[in-house]
Amino acid sequence: MKKIIFKTFIYPVAVMLLLMTASCSEEFLELQPSGAADLNSAIQSLDDYKAAVNGMYSGLQSANYYGRYFILVPDVMSDDVKQNAQANRARDFADYVANVQDGIAAGMFNTIYNVINRANTVINAETEVPAAVQNQKDQYRGEAFAVRALAHFDLVRIFAQHYGFTSGNSHAGIPIVTVFDQESKPARSTVAEVYTQIISDLEQSVSLMTIDQANPGRISKETAQALLARVNLYMGNWARAEQFATSVINSGNYSLLSNDAYADSWNQQYSSESIFSIFFRSDDDNGSDALGRMYIVEGYGDYLPSQDVVGLIPEGDARLGIFKEDPNLSGVLGTIRVNKYPNPAVQNSTPVVRLSEMYLIRAEARAMQGNEAGAQEDVTLIRQRGLPTADAVTATGQGLLDEIEKERRIELMFEGHRLWDLMRKKQGVFRTDCTGLTCEISYPNDRFVAPIPQREVDANPNMVQNPGYGS
Amino acid sequence: MKHAKHFMLSALFSILTIAVLHAQFTVQGTVTDATGDPLIGATILVKGTTTGTTTDIDGSFELRLPGQEATLLVTYTGYADREVAVSSTNNNVSISLQEAVSELSEVIVVGYGETRKEALTGSVTSLRSEQIEQVPLASVEQALQGNIAGLQSVMGNGQPGANVQVRIRGIGSISASSEPLYVIDGIPVTSGDITRTNTTANTMASLNPNDIEAVTVLKDAAATSIYGSRGANGVILITTKSGRSGKPRIDLKTQVGFNGWAVSDSRRLKPLTAEQYTEMYLEGWMNRGETVQRAMERFNGHYPGAVDFGPNGEIQRINIESDWIDAITRTGFNQSYDLSASGGTDAVSYYASGSYFSQEAPIIYSGLDRYSSRLNLKVKPNEKFTISNNLSLSRLEQYGMSDGSFWANPLYTGYFLAPVIPIYDDQGRFYGDHQSFFMGGNNPVGSLSGDDNRQFDQIRIMDNLSADYQLAKGLKFRTAWAFDMINVQEFFYRNPRYGDGRNVNGYATETAINELNWIGTQTLNYSKTFKTDHNVSALVGYEAQKNRRKGVITTGEQYPNSELRTLQNAANPTQAYSDFTEYTFSSIFSRVDYNYQLKYYLSGSVRRDGSSRFGRNNRYGTFWSVGLSWRMDQEAFLQDVSFIDDLKLRTSYGTNGNAGIGNYEHLPLFGFGADYDGSPGGVPTEIGNVNLTWETSTNFNIGLDFGLFNFLSGTVEYFSRESDNLLLARPISSTTGFTSLTQNFGAMRNSGLELTLNANIISRDNFSWGVGGNITFLKNEVTRLDEDIIDGTKIRKEGYDFQTFYLYEYAGVDPATGTPLWYTDESESTMTGNINDATRFISGRSATPDFFGGLNTNLAFKGITLDAQFVYSFGNYLYDTEARFLQGDGSLTPRSQTQINLQRWREPGDITDVPYFRWGGNNNSNVANMTRWLKDGSHIRLRNVTLAYSLPNTLVSKVGFRSARIYARGVNLWTWTKDKDLYMDPEAAINGLVESPVPNLKTISFGLDIGF
Repeated sequence: MKKIIFKTFIYPVAVMLLLMTASCSEEFLELQPSGAADLNSAIQSLDDYKAAVNGMYSGLQSANYYGRYFILVPDVMSDDVKQNAQANRARDFADYVANVQDGIAAGMFNTIYNVINRANTVINAETEVPAAVQNQKDQYRGEAFAVRALAHFDLVRIFAQHYGFTSGNSHAGIPIVTVFDQESKPARSTVAEVYTQIISDLEQSVSLMTIDQANPGRISKETAQALLARVNLYMGNWARAEQFATSVINSGNYSLLSNDAYADSWNQQYSSESIFSIFFRSDDDNGSDALGRMYIVEGYGDYLPSQDVVGLIPEGDARLGIFKEDPNLSGVLGTIRVNKYPNPAVQNSTPVVRLSEMYLIRAEARAMQGNEAGAQEDVTLIRQRGLPTADAVTATGQGLLDEIEKERRIELMFEGHRLWDLMRKKQGVFRTDCTGLTCEISYPNDRFVAPIPQREVDANPNMVQNPGYGS
Repeated sequence: MKHAKHFMLSALFSILTIAVLHAQFTVQGTVTDATGDPLIGATILVKGTTTGTTTDIDGSFELRLPGQEATLLVTYTGYADREVAVSSTNNNVSISLQEAVSELSEVIVVGYGETRKEALTGSVTSLRSEQIEQVPLASVEQALQGNIAGLQSVMGNGQPGANVQVRIRGIGSISASSEPLYVIDGIPVTSGDITRTNTTANTMASLNPNDIEAVTVLKDAAATSIYGSRGANGVILITTKSGRSGKPRIDLKTQVGFNGWAVSDSRRLKPLTAEQYTEMYLEGWMNRGETVQRAMERFNGHYPGAVDFGPNGEIQRINIESDWIDAITRTGFNQSYDLSASGGTDAVSYYASGSYFSQEAPIIYSGLDRYSSRLNLKVKPNEKFTISNNLSLSRLEQYGMSDGSFWANPLYTGYFLAPVIPIYDDQGRFYGDHQSFFMGGNNPVGSLSGDDNRQFDQIRIMDNLSADYQLAKGLKFRTAWAFDMINVQEFFYRNPRYGDGRNVNGYATETAINELNWIGTQTLNYSKTFKTDHNVSALVGYEAQKNRRKGVITTGEQYPNSELRTLQNAANPTQAYSDFTEYTFSSIFSRVDYNYQLKYYLSGSVRRDGSSRFGRNNRYGTFWSVGLSWRMDQEAFLQDVSFIDDLKLRTSYGTNGNAGIGNYEHLPLFGFGADYDGSPGGVPTEIGNVNLTWETSTNFNIGLDFGLFNFLSGTVEYFSRESDNLLLARPISSTTGFTSLTQNFGAMRNSGLELTLNANIISRDNFSWGVGGNITFLKNEVTRLDEDIIDGTKIRKEGYDFQTFYLYEYAGVDPATGTPLWYTDESESTMTGNINDATRFISGRSATPDFFGGLNTNLAFKGITLDAQFVYSFGNYLYDTEARFLQGDGSLTPRSQTQINLQRWREPGDITDVPYFRWGGNNNSNVANMTRWLKDGSHIRLRNVTLAYSLPNTLVSKVGFRSARIYARGVNLWTWTKDKDLYMDPEAAINGLVESPVPNLKTISFGLDIGF
């Protein structure tokens, strides 16, 4: 009896169970994750393009990038910002003592190149879409070209000396990355090569985008033009700078805020003069690490406005509305805080480019080309928007350029412009209202450039460290 | 058959009886185990004869003997033989047998089966229940430290229920897991930390150590290759208790005790007092060139009214004095109650238990509660068929905290918080008004007193059902199905008023993790003896396993009321997220064991594994091993060597793998969740690698087991473990958008010598003393790596130990200026005050110990026992990751520092290692990755000392007990460190990084165990 059971039942079952391996394992061993698709086929449709573009913008929100440090670091290095007593974050940059181990430099480097890879994912996807939506696909690719240009532009500003540092712009820039290659160990291109790539990407962007983009949280054709205006300004291509600034101004998509609306506009997600801003919602708020919280009392409150810039602003100017009294401050710390990014609960948008900058770029470009009347008109417009009773600007020659520089400094303060403006004009940083250890940094100086992260130098033998940061 | 044997014995006995009728006497007696339980079927023989009998169901026997006196030899499987002298006057004896000390007859659980110790060809060490029971530790892995040669087990965090890191024969991997595989009752289970918002947790803490019969550690290829791609880091087999046939045994074990810091008060990091802080506050500003008046003005701005000053900064009166560290320190309480019942008949046997275990850290809030129960049931309806089911249920509740440089870490913030900030405000609430200038107003005392939460509970259900059927003589089929379900609910809450929740009016995160692990194993086992001398057994099997873990994370902020903390009360839900992750294994395996005359042993195993974790191109791998052993003591030429009791030489060679990487690392992935402006976004998240496969480990082992002079036994073993195709997150240029790429890249070797010695120095009826110990010399070397990898404080470099520190060499303080100095390079000939002119270099210091192990001694006198165990580790270095902040020479204004800064440089000529104090820092004196933060971690620690008294059976039986034992136990009572100035606990994580964790515990406890 038992032998029969053994032969007819149990033995076959045992054999069957042992053989299961052959039958079901292939399928059994093929598993896909719940939150990700195959990278090689990630972009199959227009919706996929959209998702990849959103992912690209999401990268700009990082606290290492437009969410904080890329704006904060150049400002604390400039003469617009001084340190509060307990300033502990970007202090090494403020005091010009950062070293190759610096976490902020590494954070910016890694994050910005990660954004470039996200842009390249969109640009290099060779996916055909129906003709009816081809323009939308082109628009997405245009956004990606502009982001790639912006990211290279930002890297070359923070990790390399400015464009005009050497006569042939032949000093080391940053590696240009246009395709993903996991094995690549790129060397640094010259600054000239980097700027050529930036211009080319931005022009490509302008030509691809045909759809009116009303939402300044996304890149539009005008964003690309506005960036072209800025890049050309940095290069000293005055005619081109003026031409692109004019295109944006004349697009009719933006208008300067009124005097009364100005201060309050910083509480809003965007305003009529926003060309491109990084938007935040509560789920991508950087928390304590948000840009504004480096300034406001509810956040870290590490940094304070310098009297060097505050003292330039005339009484009654609407732009004094972006400061706030803090009764806990006293003595050298002054009495006010920066309130340009005032929201303690949901991170304020970070403006990347605004209309008023276009007027100021044009003013400078016109002045440099000898069109002083046009320059005076543009700078007066911005000045009187802040203080309607202010006198029109009538200075000429260097005096006019100084007026433009001053207006630019006031208008764009705490938006991460001041240091780059000093650099391109080959000026040092001279702080009068100074609470840090380092108050005067003469031009030229190795320390105006952030160190290449040691990690990158270790992983990439072709990477050359910036001078002044050891080997 | 059995009857026939009995009949023949009886007949023989009768004949002998008649033959010596002229002088004889009768001996009566009982044979029991050490606890007084009768041993049924024990053999009693008159020494030197074949005269004998066996004990009956009550353990009693009766024997008629010739002459006036004789010596009885009493034997019972699993127990030490015993000789007892009897005579016509001493003819009523109670004989109690000790469980076998001679390990060579032990039954050892091995992969997919069990064997006798003498048959082992591999390196296998076992820990029995007595060494695990009632140790006041949350999880069983903690009890392994110092008990098993070649094994390191550390927590690095005193949080009750913290994850335990176990390394068997060193670190075998760079990026993949180096944790061993845990197998409970034959089932590979989930181990480690699966929580999302807690700092440290351990799924294994759900297992009640009192339920464990034995822990067996498999170390070499002969033992682990049967586990294929998961065997490379060693395997820990845990066997739970089962019932034995006999009377029901009820055991009640209780224990209560107290927990403090393992390091003594004088050796801890001390916060500054209000006076010290105030002095340094003023000094810090004055060292920036400010006047004392200006510095006082700043002080009063920060801490109005805290200190009354004279006109030149003299401290006249301290009005606020807060010791934050003292305020979060307590004496923790621990308790454990365990009730079990076991017993059975020939057909059914059972073991059932229920227990409660609770442990509080010496830091307020931090603690663990465990409720667990188990039922192990075995039914044997006939000789051929066995069904068994092991079911365990447990619930863990853990209350934890942050570690590392997080403001929420109380042992970080507690040092930073100025002692002139009050703990309570004038409304009696926890103070939070320092948020505008001090770390978000974090108040660790309030946070840990109920204002915040960081906790989880875990329910784990493990069920293991198996059936064995004997198909034919020697041929057995076994099917085993197991389910392991883990449900974790985490709750994390930050209050609206101060700390990390202040800007969003409070927030909470709730996490649910559900894991289901199922595994089915089918095996056929055949064993046969040919021509009496050739013993063969063979095993073939098929196993499939699937593990699926699902997680849900929800967060919300804006709380109306700090008492109502569930997410329903949050005005603004901010995140809803879920995911799952899976892996599968599908395997076939086989093992063959052969021996000739129980003298020469040969074993071989092979396993073929497939796993979802690996790239399509390399999905399957085959692993094998060969083992040989020679029981030299069985040879004729050694039979006459009287001092040799046991002598066995064994060696093995083979391969296994390490599959301990992420579930999808081979896939190039485009992940979602990178949303922008409310619209979904996706980004490249993983480069992927279709060629990715397991690490291969090739192991050689040779060992000698010996027993000498009837009192000394031990093992000497040499091993070499070559790990190749290391899974490596190789740093790549971050210009790619990624910082690393997972590849099979590089090789590493761990080799070493393990020595275990045990001596029963005195072994008498009423008095015994034994000492033992083990030592492991471990050498780790990266043997192939195309390019150096610098990973934080360490460098991975060909020819060097994997854990070699790579740091700036701190050269102390310039006595003239008080500023820091470093050596420029490894020649250490030039010093510089500019960190940018210094380079990092290898100075030969590593987190890997030169040698480590344990020592133990046990003393028994009548019913009193005294056991002690020491653990030690030498030559390993510790790196304090938080020191650059906590001892940062004022780099973080205006955070307090520690008393180490009291040794700071003050005036020219001062010789010290601590630079002068300046707010904002002193010339990079607190830079990361320098030897200023590196300490020698060599130490010896008295892990466990237990004094116990077992009440005499005669006494306990009067009140109806089977046994009763009372004891006092101390854990970590004493610690010696080589570095006399060491201010951290020397028992740190394997990587040597100390991140201001919950301190390790010193426990003193008292217990009472009663058997019925």
